[in-house]
Amino acid sequence: MSKMVAPTNTSVWVDTQRCKACDICVDACPAGVLSMQQEATSTLGAMISVITPEACIGCNECELSCPDFAIFVADRKEFKFAKLTDESKARQEAIINNKFRLPTDYKGSN
Amino acid sequence: MAFNYDSYLRLEKMPTLWCWGCGDGVILKAFIRAVDKLGIKKDDMCVVSGIGCSGRFSSYVDFNTVHTTHGRTVAYATGIKLANPDKHVVCVAGDGDALAIGGNHTIHGCRRNIDITMIVINNFIYGLTNSQTSPTTPQGMWTVTQKAGNIDPTFDACKLAIASGASFVGRETVNAPRKMEKLIIQAIEHKGFSFVEINSNCHINLGRKNKMVSAMENLDWIDSITVSKKKYDTLSEEEQVNLLPLGILKQDTVVREYCDMYQDIIDAHQGKRAKITQDDFTKKI
Repeated sequence: MSKMVAPTNTSVWVDTQRCKACDICVDACPAGVLSMQQEATSTLGAMISVITPEACIGCNECELSCPDFAIFVADRKEFKFAKLTDESKARQEAIINNKFRLPTDYKGSN
Repeated sequence: MAFNYDSYLRLEKMPTLWCWGCGDGVILKAFIRAVDKLGIKKDDMCVVSGIGCSGRFSSYVDFNTVHTTHGRTVAYATGIKLANPDKHVVCVAGDGDALAIGGNHTIHGCRRNIDITMIVINNFIYGLTNSQTSPTTPQGMWTVTQKAGNIDPTFDACKLAIASGASFVGRETVNAPRKMEKLIIQAIEHKGFSFVEINSNCHINLGRKNKMVSAMENLDWIDSITVSKKKYDTLSEEEQVNLLPLGILKQDTVVREYCDMYQDIIDAHQGKRAKITQDDFTKKI
């Protein structure tokens, strides 16, 4: 099985050269790890960014559903992922409700 | 460590030409993972694709690839398989490619039960040529050729394949990449014609005028029209009308594969066996 070497101590990372900003990975993430951000040079005016890598639960849904080979998740054996928390779920909901972008005034669920 | 797709891709062709959020990319990834899990060498795999968005499939993968004429994927693949019976041949075609212009080739591939895996990417529209009605476009949807609403009845590709004699028939959607990967693995492992329909999204050409503007809205619609085979079987006939079953719909391991039977012809000509007669077959008509 062919593997690629992951950046050290990184749960999820993206290749911005390949991302087309389709929002699918942001929708797939259950833990609010990913969000779209404004990017003037991108075709759709947005670009994926990993906003809270420490909240990643390692479910791989973003990687599996990305059509453009742009997002990667570390192997479970090599990285200790977080557990799904209520805070993560609330952040994910806020991102989805705000057209896949984290609200600029978002301060957490509490 | 993460899965390295790049070792199976032609990197000079990246990024893909598909629109943002196109399901073809998800299918391509699932296919690459399936091939990797099966441990098939790159030289032992041949990917044949036709014309359409799905036709780009063969350009991106670093296997032996053939980008063929419109709808003739099965015809080319049959030739490739008969010449190389020990190699794996995978056809990739869209709904227009496999069911409209190539419908004839598809049914005869199924009938012969030759060991080819056929992946039909069904996005319910002609995507590449901008929204013309395809054989699977649901009635009532807007298309460029049916601007007042599509009146053409659709047909079920899996039922067609089952009726034509394919020995492995399955359906999955791009919503479930893990299940799709598993189905593709089973299809490649199966000896005989494996027909895999994958329901994909085309929010650009189907969704834009049919109230599914984003990829997620289109994927949600696909989710709403599909149901697992197990649940489908428990529903009444009225409930089944607007639903498509997912999973393995047919698996026949008894029926003989075409390359094996063809070996009999070679043996007969080489004098290794007697000529083939009706007595060699249990099904005579």
